[in-house]
Amino acid sequence: MRHPTDGTLRRLLDEPAGVADADREHVASCPVCLPALAAAHQDAALTGAALDVELAVDVDTAWSRLTRAVALDGRRRLPAPPPARRWRAALRSPLIAVLGVVALLTGASAAAAADWLQIFRTEQIAPVTITQADLVALPDLSAYGTVEIIQDVDVRESADAAAAEKATGLSVPRVGELPRGVTGEPVYRVGGRVSVAFTFSAERAAETAAAIGETLPAPPPGLDGSRFRLNAGPGLAAVWSEARGVPALIVARAVAPTAYSSGIPFETASDYLLSLPGLPEGVASQLRGFSGDGTTLPLPVPAGQLTSSTADVGGAPATVLTSRDGVLAGVVWVDDGVVTTVAGSLSADEVLVVARGLRP
Amino acid sequence: MSTPPGRGAVRVDLEQVFRSAYPRVVAVAARVLGSRDEAEDVAQEVFLTFGRSSVPAGEARGWLSVAAAHTALNHLRSGRRRASREEAAGGNDAVCADVAETVVTLDERRRVRAALARLPRKQAVALVLRHSGLSYAEVAAALDLSPGSVGTTVRRAESALRKELNRHASSD
Repeated sequence: MRHPTDGTLRRLLDEPAGVADADREHVASCPVCLPALAAAHQDAALTGAALDVELAVDVDTAWSRLTRAVALDGRRRLPAPPPARRWRAALRSPLIAVLGVVALLTGASAAAAADWLQIFRTEQIAPVTITQADLVALPDLSAYGTVEIIQDVDVRESADAAAAEKATGLSVPRVGELPRGVTGEPVYRVGGRVSVAFTFSAERAAETAAAIGETLPAPPPGLDGSRFRLNAGPGLAAVWSEARGVPALIVARAVAPTAYSSGIPFETASDYLLSLPGLPEGVASQLRGFSGDGTTLPLPVPAGQLTSSTADVGGAPATVLTSRDGVLAGVVWVDDGVVTTVAGSLSADEVLVVARGLRP
Repeated sequence: MSTPPGRGAVRVDLEQVFRSAYPRVVAVAARVLGSRDEAEDVAQEVFLTFGRSSVPAGEARGWLSVAAAHTALNHLRSGRRRASREEAAGGNDAVCADVAETVVTLDERRRVRAALARLPRKQAVALVLRHSGLSYAEVAAALDLSPGSVGTTVRRAESALRKELNRHASSD
């Protein structure tokens, strides 16, 4: 019989069970194979010794390090274009979902109509403080009906400012003077319009209420099966990055959200929605406080992470958000149906200087 | 090897996999690099990638080991290693020499790394994985080899490594 290969001899050292019986028996009595097996054993032992390491690792410390790296990596990914599924995920998130419905219905004054009728137009933005407990308690939009993506967002990089303007029909805001520490040319990103339809279902809402041991109040006539459409965008953003990839400054602009309805008395619907079981009272009361003209977009502000204050940008009331660790700040305002944001790893004063110095 | 990572999302089993596999991943990288500090850097890099991947949980062990071996070999070859670390590692990383007449000195360890860097990539990875305790079946799956050829690949690598070490030892 022919001799087993060097590979078989090698495996005989580690996993004899993986070698055929016939080969094992052959090697045991073969004057050619036995020395080859010994040589293989010697090389394996030498390699094992050369490569061997004995080291103690601190898994807890290493895990902390990885957690920080993941967080940093997440921030570094901020300017990445949000894929469609993130929008879908956002729509499924309780916060966005409920605020979407509330934005649709909050104090809208228009009466029902057979055609799509604009019921909400963002003219200003107001912060709504959301606690961690609220977030947990807020129901999903699908708890009230069905959601359908009519037009998905399509975010992509744009060659330059002119291309971004052409793609969106919006003017790119020009930054007068970059804050200290921000240098270089920005990367431009553009996104198309996103459009979402929502159909209210009294049955679904009743199931949701029952699941938390509550009874659904009787819906006002006409609400069951009524449809709403929420549009936002297109938009563009100029992003300046630090050497490590963390966005140092973002200047973004988008056509502000508008909402349309296929027909329902909105004051009634709004009152009804805000009374639904499952909506935390702290959030509902803030929303009830908005003016009833259908022009205020609620901006969710996580209570533990951001603080909000007000300011003035070119005559428009603006909301300033600052992270509690003081690392990030942003300012957002609406002017003529267009929402503009300036944010970055900057102080609140710095983002305001940039915002007020923007040239349209 | 892995499917594209889910953007932004970190896999939910990351901590569980990390805690069970971290020592092994560091050990694989340390066999290539001979330094614990550098091996831990490599392990961080590997787990960061893994955290964004959708590698099935059942394949995590093999995937992480192969990724650690490749990443560590890349570090070796790209010259990212720093001499100071090599020196400093002398005190930290106990490199055991069990075989008679083989005293693995700092200098010898350097030769081992240089020899590893010169091996064909597949041989180097198979060698490191096998000496890190992966079975022939696991090495075969990880490197897309037949289990029968793992022995051949490892044997060739060991023979080449011995020749490299002897050549340098005799030329001193």
